[in-house]
Parts: sequence; structure tokens; C-alpha cells
Amino acid sequence: MAEKKKTYIEDIERTLYDIRNEDHSLYKSKSGLTEEVVLDISKRKHDPQWMTDFRLKSLAIYNQMALPTWGPDISSLNMDEIVTYVQPDAKMAGSWKDVPTDIKDTFDRLGIPDAEQKSLSGVGAQYDSEVVYHSLQQNMADQGVIYTDMETAIREHEDIVKEYFMTLIPPKDHKFAALHGAVWSGGSFVYVPENVHVDIPLQSYFRLNAAGAGQFEHTLIIVEPGASLHFIEGCSAPKYNVTNLHAGAVELFVKEGARLRYSTIENWSRNMMNLNTKRALVEKDGIMEWVSGSFGSHVSCLYPCTILHGEHARCEFTGVTFAAKGQDLDTGASVIHAAPHTSANINTRTISKDGGKATYRSAVKVTKNAPYAQCSVNCESLMLDNASRSDTLPTMDVEGDEANIGHEAKIGRISDEAIFYLTSRGIEEKEARAMIVRGFVEPIAKELPLEYAVEMNNLVNIELEGTMG
Amino acid sequence: MSDKLLEIKDLHAGVEDKEILKGLSLSIGKGEVHVILGPNGSGKSTLMNVIMGHPKYEVTGGSLDFEGESIKELPTFERARRGLFLSFQTPEEIPGITLGTMIRTSMQAVSGKKVKLLPFRKELKARLEELKMKPEYAERYLNVGFSGGEKKRAEILQLLMLNPKLALLDETDSGLDVDAVQIVSEGVAKFHNDENSCIIITHNTRILEKLKVDRVHVLMNGKIVEEGGPELVDEINRRGFTHILDAQEQK
Amino acid sequence: MATANTAKEIFSEIPMRTWRWLGVNEVRMPENVAGTLQSDHLTVEAGKSDEVVYVNRQGGAQELTIDVADGAKMHLVNVQLAPSDAGYTSRITANVGKGATFSYTVVEAGARHTASELTVNLNGDDSIADIWGFYFGDGARKVDLNYIIRQRGKRTDANMQVRGALLGGSEKIFRGTLDFLEGAKGSVGRENEEVILLSDKVRNRSVPIMLSHEDDVDGHHAVSIGKMDEAKLFYLMSRGLDKADAQRLVVEAAFNPVIDRIPDEALRGEIDAYLKERLAD
Repeated sequence: MAEKKKTYIEDIERTLYDIRNEDHSLYKSKSGLTEEVVLDISKRKHDPQWMTDFRLKSLAIYNQMALPTWGPDISSLNMDEIVTYVQPDAKMAGSWKDVPTDIKDTFDRLGIPDAEQKSLSGVGAQYDSEVVYHSLQQNMADQGVIYTDMETAIREHEDIVKEYFMTLIPPKDHKFAALHGAVWSGGSFVYVPENVHVDIPLQSYFRLNAAGAGQFEHTLIIVEPGASLHFIEGCSAPKYNVTNLHAGAVELFVKEGARLRYSTIENWSRNMMNLNTKRALVEKDGIMEWVSGSFGSHVSCLYPCTILHGEHARCEFTGVTFAAKGQDLDTGASVIHAAPHTSANINTRTISKDGGKATYRSAVKVTKNAPYAQCSVNCESLMLDNASRSDTLPTMDVEGDEANIGHEAKIGRISDEAIFYLTSRGIEEKEARAMIVRGFVEPIAKELPLEYAVEMNNLVNIELEGTMG
Repeated sequence: MSDKLLEIKDLHAGVEDKEILKGLSLSIGKGEVHVILGPNGSGKSTLMNVIMGHPKYEVTGGSLDFEGESIKELPTFERARRGLFLSFQTPEEIPGITLGTMIRTSMQAVSGKKVKLLPFRKELKARLEELKMKPEYAERYLNVGFSGGEKKRAEILQLLMLNPKLALLDETDSGLDVDAVQIVSEGVAKFHNDENSCIIITHNTRILEKLKVDRVHVLMNGKIVEEGGPELVDEINRRGFTHILDAQEQK
Repeated sequence: MATANTAKEIFSEIPMRTWRWLGVNEVRMPENVAGTLQSDHLTVEAGKSDEVVYVNRQGGAQELTIDVADGAKMHLVNVQLAPSDAGYTSRITANVGKGATFSYTVVEAGARHTASELTVNLNGDDSIADIWGFYFGDGARKVDLNYIIRQRGKRTDANMQVRGALLGGSEKIFRGTLDFLEGAKGSVGRENEEVILLSDKVRNRSVPIMLSHEDDVDGHHAVSIGKMDEAKLFYLMSRGLDKADAQRLVVEAAFNPVIDRIPDEALRGEIDAYLKERLAD
């Protein structure tokens, strides 16, 4: 642990992700975190009083709480230097025409408007601290589906937001949850009414352009009984030589018999501290599916948590993490079985190379109230060289005797025999290695929508470029 | 230009400081089928791996020529592209890559040309049928969860699809039941013609029933100690290797 | 350490910390650890082999350091059958030289609260650790284990097989770590824990940890936690055994591979009788 470096930005070509725009922000909060800053954000966002109070309460909790005593080194994060609120010079638009050209170009390069045409039923796009674009297909709106930015949601659906907001991730949960409660801005709100099926995914994309800034978007999704939704979240940022911070919060409510799939491809630049919190509450017969790809950031702490709260609630977690030079990616999942006959499957792959550090961390908890709980965990780690690190730290905590919990993990490297086999079929060694790595993550890739599977393969290829052969 | 396809002269090779092949010579002509026999540990699999260029083995002397050119220094994938193919004794399991993708990728690598999807699928389906493999095998991860017999059939499938100039078959028939040996030997017979050659390591004569064997070599202690026509196979089967060993000692 | 009795004191720590709410980061010091510290240093000289058996029937604190020199072999048997009101701590460190083998057979079946730490340093190339453990919890017993194998040499081989059964209102935490250090090329590590849960009042925590600084290794760990296999029980009951007998047989089947490694037949008989009696309650 002594060899950890301070923020170190790896100089690999991440092509389009790295194109940064000039900072044309309309307004930026002062750096650091004071009551004055929080009140200023609240005022600019025209918060209702309860939200202003919530922010101040969260700030007080933040100031009292200590940093976690485990996990990656985040000492290079200095909150006094982080600008918590950056308002882009753009109003929320319902048409890309109305989005300022430089911002629109960014999303064009990321392929968002294109994907919107082809394969999405709604899109949200956040730039720094505010959402600049939101759309939803008319037929979805007609069925009562709500998909909007959080600020609009507070204005137009205040009662719903007030009922759910930060109840699943209360500010006192941990220091960065408290931080989020104080300075959150932007994010998406989705409400799917009973028995409505949103067959084509919705996607929100989060882009952090300003240097030294933080992004604290809040995503709140409610899937009512019998309804279903696939939600996709993408994130990226250009690289800077200063630390950026992402401390978003995702709260997902999956009601009786409902189904939610939440897919993420995270590709933050390597100056990012990604301290994100995601949590789902699943009621009777509900199904929560997570698909999570972690490729970017300098440090990540990300462990989506699922609380199986109703009988026969289920959870599937599928994750891949790729840690390269200068990265310390601490990822995994946690599942809390809190009702009888609940079941969960966790399936992860981690890859580390060039001195990257990948940690799989998980918790499976079976409470006294959850007889007949079933959980199976499978995690595999691949190390591409011996400068890298790969750690696996799962915990299982079972109360009672009516549980069936299995865990399996493997660590190793690409076998020389597998390489020989492929090269004996005429494939070059470099490509053989890439094929094996792609094969290693394939069980995860196949859970992603096609375009994202392609993007993930591209990210794998970018990572493998120049380091092999 | 001779009609020699593979010419090995005084080959020495081994792992780390242990020499396994101790001056081996072997010559394979175009269109020929050669069988290599030998007791366990005599160096048969090492020979196959060395011909294919396994990085674990170091070649310390001698020559290894394919179509009149030395391939001793070529990386494995280049040898495959020249037209060599090794059917593995224990084929590797590679999760995440389907058998179909694997074959198409290597066909493209070997030919240097794009392999069109539709004709490829058609051919693959036909070949799978010939080998009595269900079509869904093409979609399964390479050798993962395959039985011993299925793995061997998947090797022959690749042989048929890639159509190399020289096939090295390392105990392709071992661990198979009677029916599977039949299918595999039919597959090899189908592959073989006047334009290509085979080197077969086997303990089993049944796989040879469908092929006309040109030469038989007995490999012991890293050297070819006896050579002859197809009748040598029967003789070894009848009398074992010891009498050859004795004869060697008398020399 | 032997006289320290405050409940809050930490006996040992997990090699890599995790969420505090899981309560697994620290092994707590048991209360009422009576008597003096039993401290030993064992050495097996190069090329020699030795077998040492410890039996604890009174509780207290034990501390052992073991040096297994190059090419030597050591089999340590450690059986703890302390009274149900006793506290017990055990700290064992073994340093294993080139080509040497450290075998360990441990039964943690007694005491009110057991805190046990094992650290095996596979320092030499081609060194071997072969660890077989069995724990047994019933009543209000607490079993707190922290086993670590550090693989430093090349081509080291670590095997950690732990079985356990929990009854009554017992509580157990098992932390088992395979730590592949940089340079441990060609090393293999296996860790496996099987827990049988026999009461709805038990709490089981399992923390299998695998740390790797070296790519040329082959590491695997697995944990299975659950009730007794219903099919097995049914089979036995169909042969005329009542449920308690059938359960006992299944638990015995789990601990026999560990007990069978104990050389002393009388001691094997004693452990067997001890466990049978407890299972009968």
C-alpha cells in the first residue's frame, strides 16, 4: 500500500472521450464546501424550502463524518479545491437544435443523438452540473411514463420526489452520501406506472467538462408494480491534471412484480475520483438486474447494493472492471436478503494490467427474516502482468440455517497453452491475447445492448493496444 | 524443387536443460501419410509441438524445412499460415470464444482474406453434419464443457475447414469410443488427398484403416530408430517396442 | 497479551479491511482468558521431519512460532477442547523454507470464545502449506478465526481446507487469506470452506480473501454455506436412521477427513466422542 502514487494521469489515447471543450460555464460555485456554497447552489436551483433544509442537514452530517477506514487511497482528494457546482451556459432543451453547438458537438461525438434515433425511447444529457437535454417518445409519455431531469421532477412531481429522495441512500450512510445530499445537482427521474413496459431503453449520459469540478447527479427511478424498464447510464470526461470528483447517487425502487435493468458503461478520465453510490430496493417477485462496466477513473469505489425486500425478489449482478496504469478500481456488489425465498446471482470479471489495481469487494447478507435465501457468486480475475494487482475480498454473513450460499473466485493469467493453441491456428500472438481477454469478458458483454457491447470491446481494444505483443 | 513438404534433419530440441529430441530426421513428401509410433515419453508430442513452434521448447540444433524453406525461426502463427495444422492431444478450453468464431477467425488469418459469413455458415453446417455434431456446437464456447470425443471432433472440424498442407494429428483417436474413432478417421480420410500430407501419432490401428499409410517411423528416446512400410504397424502391435530396443542395443 | 482481558481489545486483524458494518475486520480478544501464556518455539532442521501434537483442555492463551528449515517437514496437530466457559486464544506463525512442508491439522471445538490466528509464510521456493481445519460451534459459542498463507517463494503450493458445523446459538467468523506476493511465480493456492448450518439461531460469517501481486499464479477459493443436504438426509433416513442420527452422520462425514489426519488413535477417539456427545444434545 506504500507504493501508491498521487493522482497520476495516464497518457493513453482515449480518442473522442478526451476532447475537451472550453469552459463556457455561466456560473461556478466557489471551490470548497461551506454553508455559503451550499445555500448559494440551493438558491440558484430554486429549491423548495425542504430541499434547502435537506442540503444543510446533509452538510452538517458531512462535516461530522470520518472518511472510510478501508478501500483505495483517496488522500489526493482535497474538497477545498473541488468546485461543486458548474452551471453550463445552456437551458434545458427538448430539441438538440436548442443545445449550444460546443455541447451538442460533444454529445454528437459520443453518439448520443444517433443512438436516440436508432435504439432508445428517451435520452437525457447532463453537462457538468445541469441537464441540457431531455426527450421521451410520445407513446411512452402517453402511457404516463415520466422521464425528466431531477430539477423538473421536483417542480412538477414534488410529492413523489419528496417521498423517495435519499430514503434509500440516507446522507448519514457514508461521508460521500452526505456530500451528495448537500450539493447534488442534475440527474434523471424516471417513473414507470403500473403494468407499463418500456420496451426500448432510456439512456442518460453524464459528461463532466470543467476541470477540478465535481459531478453529483441524482438518479431516482420508480418502477411501479408489474412494470418494466431498461435504463442505461453512460459517463465520461476529458482528462485534466487536477482531480475531478464524481459522487452521484442512484436510487432504484422496484415494486411488486416489476423488473428493472440498469446498465452502465463508465469511462471517466483518469483524474477522476469516482465515489458513486447505487442502491435498489426490490419488492415481492421483483427483479433487479445490474450490468456494470468500469473502465475509467483514477480511483473508483462502486458497489451497487440490492435490498431484496419482498418474498421471491431476485437480483442479477453482472460486472466487468478493467484497471490499467494509474488506476485503483475497487468495485463489486452487495446484496441484502431481507425476505424469504429471495435469490441473487453475482457474476464478475476483473482485469488488471500495467500496474493497475483491481479489487473485487462484495457483501452478501442474509438476515433472520430471509429463510430459503439463495445466492451464488462467481468472480474471476485476470492479471496481464506482474506489475499489477488483483485482490478479491468477499464477505458472506448468514443468520439462520435455511440458506444456500455459494461463492467461487479465481485469479490467474492467460495460459501459455491457450496462446499456443490460437497461434497454431494462424492467429498472431497479440490478437490471440486480445481474443482471450474479449472471451473473458464475453459473459458480461453479451448482457449489454449491442452498441454498448461494441463500445466495451472498443474500450478493451484501446486498453490492450500497445501493451501486448 | 523436390516434392518434399517437410524435411527435418538432425533435430535437437528440449525444455530448459533437458534434451528430448536427440538428432531426429524425418522427411515427408507431398500427398503422403506417415505414422509415428513410440512408447510413452519417447518424444512424439514434443516433435509435433516443435514442428508447430511451441515457445516452451527450444530447438538447439538441426534443421526444420517446410516447402524447401526453413521455418525454424518462424513464430507459430506464421507456420499455420504456411499450411501447417496441429490437432492437439488435449485441445484447450477457451471460454467466451465460440467454435464458429474461432474457425472463421483462423480461416481469415490463414488465408489473409475475408471469409464471407453466409457461405461460411453453410460450409460449417455441412462439415458439422459430416462429423455428426449438432449445429449448436458452432455457437458453444471453444471446447468448454465438451467431452473428450467432442473436443477431438472439433479439432477435425477445424482441420476440414482450414484445409492445411500438412496435418499433424497427435493422438486424435485417444480416449474415443469405437463410433467416434470411426467418425474421426472418416474425417481425416476426407481431408487427405494427393496435395496434402499427414503425420499421425497413434496407438490405435483403427484410425489408419481408411488411409493408405506410406511410411511408419518408430520414435524412441528422441530419435527415429526404425522405419518401414505399413506392415511395421502390425508388427509393433504384435511384438511391442522391446524387440526394437534390443535390436538397437545390439547395434 | 495473555493477561489482557478487555473485550474491546483487538486480537488480530484481517489482511485487507472491508465495510465496518460486517464486523469482520478485527478478531476480538475473548474475555476471561485464564492462566499464563503458553509460548513455544519449534524448529525442524533441514531435511528432518517432525510431528507435534498439542491438546488444550483448559483454555488460555497459546503462542507458537515454528521454523521449518529447507527440505524439512512438519505436521502440527492442534486440538482445542476447552471447557464451555473458558476463553481461548491461539497465535501460530510458521516460516517454511525451500522445498519444506508445513502441515497443520486443527480442531477448534471447545471454549466459549475462540480467537485463533494462523500465519504461514511460504518463504522458500517449492514450499508447501497443507492446512486442514474443523470448527464446531454450539450453545453460545463464538469462533473467530483468521488464517493467512503468504506465498513468497516460487512454485509454492498452498491448500486450506476448512469445514465447520454450527448449532444452537453459535456464531463464527472465518477469514481465510491466500496472499500471492510479487515473485511467487508458478504458485498455486486453493482455499475451500464448507459450513453446515444446523440451527436457525446461528450466525455464520465467511471471508475468503485472495490477494495477488503476481500474475503467474493459479488461485482459487470457494465457500459453500447451507443446511445439510436434504437428499443425503433422506437417503440415510430411508435406511432407518432418525433425523438426529442422520444429521450426526453427515456432520461426521464432514469432519472425518480432518480428524483422520491426527496420528494418535486415542485422541481421535476422544474428539469423536466429544463431538458425538455435543451433537447428541
